Amino acid sequence: MSRSCAPTSTSWNKRLAATEAFPVYQPIEAAVRFEEVTVEYDGISILDRVSATVPKGSCTAIIGPNGAGKTTLLLALLGEISYQGRIHTSPNGTRIGYVPQRLSFDRGMPLTVSEFLAMGFQKKPLWLGIHPKLQDLSREALTLVKAEHLAGRKIGALSGGELQRVLLALALRQEPDLLVLDEPSAGVDFRGELIFCELLDTLRHATGLTQLMVSHDLATVTHHATHVICLNRKVAAEGPPRQTLTSENLTAIFGMHMGLVSSRSMPENLAVCSAPCCQERPDA
Amino acid sequence: MPELSPLYALLAQLLPFDCLQARFMQQALLGLLLLAPMAAVMGIIVVNFRMAFFSDAISHSAFAGVALGLIFSVDPNWTMPAFGLLVGLGIMILQRHSNLSSDTVIGVFFSAMVAFGLAIVSRDRSLARDLQRFLYGDILTISDGQILCLMALFLILMTFQAVSYNHLLYIGLNPTLAQAHRVRVAVHQYLFTGLLALIVMFAVQAVGVLLVTALLIVPAAAARNLARSAGAMFWWALLISLSSAVAGLLISAQDWARTATGATIIIVACGWFLLSMIAANLSRDRTA
Repeated sequence: MSRSCAPTSTSWNKRLAATEAFPVYQPIEAAVRFEEVTVEYDGISILDRVSATVPKGSCTAIIGPNGAGKTTLLLALLGEISYQGRIHTSPNGTRIGYVPQRLSFDRGMPLTVSEFLAMGFQKKPLWLGIHPKLQDLSREALTLVKAEHLAGRKIGALSGGELQRVLLALALRQEPDLLVLDEPSAGVDFRGELIFCELLDTLRHATGLTQLMVSHDLATVTHHATHVICLNRKVAAEGPPRQTLTSENLTAIFGMHMGLVSSRSMPENLAVCSAPCCQERPDA
Repeated sequence: MPELSPLYALLAQLLPFDCLQARFMQQALLGLLLLAPMAAVMGIIVVNFRMAFFSDAISHSAFAGVALGLIFSVDPNWTMPAFGLLVGLGIMILQRHSNLSSDTVIGVFFSAMVAFGLAIVSRDRSLARDLQRFLYGDILTISDGQILCLMALFLILMTFQAVSYNHLLYIGLNPTLAQAHRVRVAVHQYLFTGLLALIVMFAVQAVGVLLVTALLIVPAAAARNLARSAGAMFWWALLISLSSAVAGLLISAQDWARTATGATIIIVACGWFLLSMIAANLSRDRTA
């Protein structure tokens, strides 16, 4: 499947230009720059010369349909899979915090949330107890994600939303410059998702970290992203959500049915989001 | 070679059973006191890594290891662990670098090892008699030299566990998450595999090929049911494996039992497992 997509069509440019002035283009500082990243698996191309930028301090969303290579791009960034091309991160080292899509693990494993948060940091083996200082830090991280009541629970007994918050706490404990989230809203109910997203927005503003998330949930993206990368094996479009989430681009990456759904609701309705977390969006 | 007699005398005094006054029983007890804790703590990781089948494959390569030693006229006591180590690392390399599922990779290795071992053994009638020793194991014939080897391995392994327990748990939970947290996944996996292969080869001599996996995973499985945290699981596994080993040895030496030591140890451990299941169900009912 090969489809060439212009970043934004001229007709949209004209329409948008008529209603508001485009911000003057300024070279932005990049937290991550993908350069011609290609991944092939058994001769099947999964990512085809993907070049994109994740601006520093942004909330960047990678959107695209199933099988578009979103998770693959993240795994390439994490160094989990081999790829051709280059991925530039900050030259003086980027600390990456990673929140996986669905943590597949053995739910029968006796491991408490406190142990889970300590095991990556503590040298002393867990069977000699957890260092009190690490206990405090874990508790702080849990408080940050509003999950302090979970410290003594077994990790296998957590619900989807609780587990995701604990995973976020673990990622934050690593004091990341770049927080990578794979499908943050998968397996979480609507309320849980809202809490999760608001939490991330608050944290991003407070700490200045860069957030990179994968999503195929357009509602999440329109509410929270400041930068969007439309991916379907290639980069179809990239930029601020208003200029990127056009019906043409969405049709191009998601196929016909997506275009039909979103043709009237996007992008005009973007501006009327009333959620508190959207009000402070720099580009809103 | 250092003299182990004072140690045996001490053991006989600590556990004043009639059957423990014989030298071979004291040696067996010391061997088990070294082997059981190692098997238990490695078993925790084996269970978390879901590597039970892997340890089975290594134990079944014991035949082939001995056969190789006989072909090249090298002491089988050396070729067996060396070959087990090679097989273990081979499986790990293939697992990490191929798209085959891990049980397929292990299955292929497993069959190749057993077929090769049997082919060699079947050529020589006198070797076939040795086969039984490997199938059932015989801790009662352990030598002072083997005990010293176990002591060295014990030191190495416990150091490794103390340094790497947390990271191994992390990798067992989710390798990608561990990798993102700058845990060196590959190094830990290879080190663990190598040590596991050595433990398995020693355990083959104690409980036999058929029951090696049981010695590794039954205490850990029972500990999982009883423990409420990863730290507690370690101590439960130690307690269960040590008590099973000592009780199994003593029971097997009684006149009314006269059973194979290895099998008796595993039966006691399985008794623990049964109890742990009941305890886990009871506590679940209470919280529900």
